[in-house]
Amino acid sequence: MQAITGYHRPSGLDEALALLNRDYVTSVVVGGGTVIGAGSLETEAEAVDIQACVEASIEASPTRIRYGAMVRLQDLINHPATPPLLAETARREGPNTLRNAATIGGTVASAHWESELVAALLVHDACVKIALPDHVVEVSLEELLGDSSLAERGIITSISADPSGETASARSGRTPADTSIVAALGRVVASGVRLGLTGVAAHPVVIDPADVESLEPPGDFRGTPEYRKELAGTLTTRIVDLLGGTA
Amino acid sequence: MKVTFTLNGTEQTFDCRPHESLRAVLRGEGYYSVRFGAETGETGAAAVLCDGRLISAEIMLAAQADGHEIETVEGLNPPRGLHPIQEAFVETGAIQSGYSTPAMILAAKALIDGNPDPTEDDVRDALSGILDRETGYLRPVHAVLRAAAILRGEKVAPVEPALIEPLVEPGGTPDMGAANSPLNLPPLSPRVIPSPEVPETNVVGKPERKVDAVKLAKGHAAFVDDIERRGMLYAKMLYSPHAHARIMSIDDSAARALPGVHAVLHHENVERVRYASGGQSYPNPLPYDQVSFDNKVRHVGDRVAAVAAESIEIAEQAVKLINVEYEVLPAVFDENEAIAGNAPVIHDEPDMEGAHDAARNIVQHIEAEVGDFVAGLESADRVFEKSFRVHQVQQCPIEPHIAIAWLDSDERLVIRTSTQVPFHVRRMVAPLLGMPVRDIRIVKPRIGGGFGVKQEMLIEDVVGHLALATGRPVRLELNREEEFVSSRTRHPQTITFTTGVMNDGTLVAQKMRTVGNTGPYGTHALTVQMVSGLRGLSTYNCPNKKFDCDVAYTNTPVAGAYRGYGAPQALFALEAHMEDIATEMGMDVLEFRRKNWTKVGDPLDVAAELGEGAADMKFIPVVTSSGMDECVVQGQRAVGWHRRHELDWLQPADRPHIRRGLGFAMCMHGSAISGLDMGGASIKINDDGSFNLLIGATDLGTGADTILAQMAAEVLGVPTADVVVYAADTDMTPFDVGAYASSTTYVSGMAVKKAAEEVRRQIITRAALLLDVDVPGDIELKERAAFAPDGRSMSLEQIALHTLHQDDQHQIMATASYVAPDSPPPYAAQFAEVEVDIETGQVTVERLVMAVDCGVPINPLTSAGQVEGGMVQALGYGHCEEMVLDETGRMVNARFGPYKIYRADEMPAIEAYLVQTMEKSGPFGAKAIAEIPKDGVAPAIRNAIFNATGVPIDNLPFTPQRVWDALQTS
Repeated sequence: MQAITGYHRPSGLDEALALLNRDYVTSVVVGGGTVIGAGSLETEAEAVDIQACVEASIEASPTRIRYGAMVRLQDLINHPATPPLLAETARREGPNTLRNAATIGGTVASAHWESELVAALLVHDACVKIALPDHVVEVSLEELLGDSSLAERGIITSISADPSGETASARSGRTPADTSIVAALGRVVASGVRLGLTGVAAHPVVIDPADVESLEPPGDFRGTPEYRKELAGTLTTRIVDLLGGTA
Repeated sequence: MKVTFTLNGTEQTFDCRPHESLRAVLRGEGYYSVRFGAETGETGAAAVLCDGRLISAEIMLAAQADGHEIETVEGLNPPRGLHPIQEAFVETGAIQSGYSTPAMILAAKALIDGNPDPTEDDVRDALSGILDRETGYLRPVHAVLRAAAILRGEKVAPVEPALIEPLVEPGGTPDMGAANSPLNLPPLSPRVIPSPEVPETNVVGKPERKVDAVKLAKGHAAFVDDIERRGMLYAKMLYSPHAHARIMSIDDSAARALPGVHAVLHHENVERVRYASGGQSYPNPLPYDQVSFDNKVRHVGDRVAAVAAESIEIAEQAVKLINVEYEVLPAVFDENEAIAGNAPVIHDEPDMEGAHDAARNIVQHIEAEVGDFVAGLESADRVFEKSFRVHQVQQCPIEPHIAIAWLDSDERLVIRTSTQVPFHVRRMVAPLLGMPVRDIRIVKPRIGGGFGVKQEMLIEDVVGHLALATGRPVRLELNREEEFVSSRTRHPQTITFTTGVMNDGTLVAQKMRTVGNTGPYGTHALTVQMVSGLRGLSTYNCPNKKFDCDVAYTNTPVAGAYRGYGAPQALFALEAHMEDIATEMGMDVLEFRRKNWTKVGDPLDVAAELGEGAADMKFIPVVTSSGMDECVVQGQRAVGWHRRHELDWLQPADRPHIRRGLGFAMCMHGSAISGLDMGGASIKINDDGSFNLLIGATDLGTGADTILAQMAAEVLGVPTADVVVYAADTDMTPFDVGAYASSTTYVSGMAVKKAAEEVRRQIITRAALLLDVDVPGDIELKERAAFAPDGRSMSLEQIALHTLHQDDQHQIMATASYVAPDSPPPYAAQFAEVEVDIETGQVTVERLVMAVDCGVPINPLTSAGQVEGGMVQALGYGHCEEMVLDETGRMVNARFGPYKIYRADEMPAIEAYLVQTMEKSGPFGAKAIAEIPKDGVAPAIRNAIFNATGVPIDNLPFTPQRVWDALQTS
């Protein structure tokens, strides 16, 4: 953590954005701190801790559930209105020491390619609200993952999702709690199954089940591109079957 | 900057820097229970409560804690005694090294505070953030459940062994009817199958509390890092970025010029003294292929330079300022390629000592033969041959290597270090530092796990050099990546078995060809491979055996000692091979093995060729005790072996992509290195009739101090609590080779027993005088007193006071040592139950059962914990742990997570059974237990996958893609 050269805890979003957008000073947003604290910084930067200026509340309605970006993953899991797939995948983000600290905003901002929670949010049609220096935007998570510049110089303030629909999940990993090599997550929507996959691209993707064959996954020591592609096909078939073949 | 938070109920303000972690600040304030495990936070050793939630203080900025409530275990500690959660951890045997115990206790508190009646799943989730290499999680989980019950006001039963009827009559056949009826036993009770040959004892054989439990449960200062030395400097190492390179020049001027830097050491300013780093008896086995700092680097992570500075941050900065010019050389990583004759030569230096053929990268060549293998093979009805590959893994103690060195007021060098071998370290480090042994003192406090990786003189020379160079105390701690790539690992091997079998299943010839991969240094290269040969060729009877082994230098991270020491590799190959032979011959896999396994009276003939102490071995050892038959049937019952051929169970109808299987592996290990391992013990009486027991033996968390105290207490007629243990300190305690080779119970235990018996003799002599008894031998020691035959008694306190103060004063005391002529093998039956997803290759291990014959378990609680924890570590070896190097030799997964260690919330069911036998050569009938749990899990899983899918997989570990690839190929 030596790369952190300064620490700020702004009390409001405007102050936070101002700190984040200073000239000649590199700043990083610290939410739960599990990414920055674990030494991911390669260059010196000042920390802008948003715990005092970004919401940590959860609001649920029949059509949307909205999480403040500072909602800890464990609080998301514990909330009775959280859809089962979001709770299940949030649990799979890591052990309880991590879930007690990590936030949904940080998880979305990191968008790790193996994050099942991010994939589940995609499946639940998540939208992300981002505070920028001069305005606020709300974009779909899918759009944000496709163009990360949308959040540049900004702070994610909330994530909302459509809680409806039957869901299912399937995955493969080395052990039961291992980060999945590939995971497939699905939700029944009007048009069929909305499918999310991890471990097949630079970030989790939502994809038409019929298009899985066209994937060209990257590889690593846990799975070659060919194996990951096979897994994606197999697990997709399972999800579609589990959800009643509604692809 | 200043931060203010409520710490254990009191608001306090601390100075900190923006980058400092909460752990660093808390430790700086003396909260030693918050311990380092990994800078990325995955171990949970530094877990604290923040606003009642368990978080890792390693990755939380101290500044983030401002305004919050922080709790450490120090806030839970009563002034004397234990909190109920701590008490539950002690009673259940949930504490081994205790390094991460405070974190677990906080996890329990957080859980129970919010949920007074948690389920087992709740507890496992609560502990999921704290990695444990020692207990297998079973006892910590049930400790939390027990604590919750106590805090709810419920009465809980004491944790007593569950005594189980034997299923095998002496000399008879197993009762297979009973073997098919599962038992329903409380999960915490050590399962003991008693032997009628074992005499009654008062202290030995009882589930005593660990003698070091209080300080471990309360998080007191106990480990290497839990001291402060005025003026301490911090060391960091510069490691090689290349797998193989020559250092053409090294410029340390910028580093030396950095304010706060006190020393920079490298090959140009440290004397070149050859050594072998393995912590072994004198003379250390060849080769002597290391120096403190060399002009060549031979693996990514090899030493280049060391810096001592006023802070870790300055030392890290200085390391970056050292300018090294390398000539990068070709590298080789595969053991077979390395010795093929055209590989880069890894040791081309002229002063290299003792490699077999350095020009061909062959560090050792070992051959041994009993009978005539070729003739035996020719006589066989059938011949089977198969090759296996076992991989590289790391021991991963949660406490990494750490050492602190300073000069005392006599200008002697004191090194406080996390080591398994303090006496070996003292002897080995002396010539490197140019000091006589008498001027060096090694202190071993509590150790946060070792598993063999600390059977090494690894960093003590560095802190020694730096302390001498600066005159200041110097501390060096490896970070997690350094622990992976710059300490020691398990030897990868390529193993080929060739076996001749008669049609009735009798083995008549067996050859084991091994190519071991030691990395670039041959520490333990000879002896690990010898143990591989010994275990591979002495588990089963066979008249004609041959061992043919080359050990290769490569440019991988260095291999060394790891719990099991060559046996897990050998037994994976052997037990896979035996399974395949039985299957191909249409024989029952257990009956085939039973026909051939060594039994009481059978010679271990290859031990005379391959035993580490073979040079001193004057006879062929013979098996003197074995509970193998009983182990197998107890394991069969526990795992439900009868399901192995039930199609409905093997192929569950509701999950067509799942196949189930059961696997077995036989295990046989040793108890110490006969003729070589020696332990010493010293006992003296105190005024109140208590005793001090001083031992050089090294408790790594295994409970060695406790079981040695139990043995002394048994002889002296006192409770274990009356024996105060001190270990190990080269100035204060007798010599002991240290903790390795499963020797502590068997060898150090016998030394303690001998010393206690001499102290007992002195006590009863004085008691006979005072009680006017003619024959001292008629005096009995029990209940802290000496009893005359007529029932009169005198307390040990009275005897001690009389002897120390009143008449013919002298100190009742004795010192004894013991070197074992034998190494009686413990035996074990390992079973595994798996599910295989045949579409993805994912293997899920559902259950592990091990039944162990360890002679008489001195403490069933700690013995069961050894088996449970060992099995889980072995599960990682077989299933998910692997060090992965890229094409340049850099490890790509040097972090927990990518390097996968099992968590509490994903464990299979585990059960340990302790099958008693009376090993007459051991103290109170004991044999070893520490290492055998590592031996059988990988082959049992492999054989279970074979049972499930019909596909034999001969490479470890059984990761999804490896299994999927094998299924596709088949």
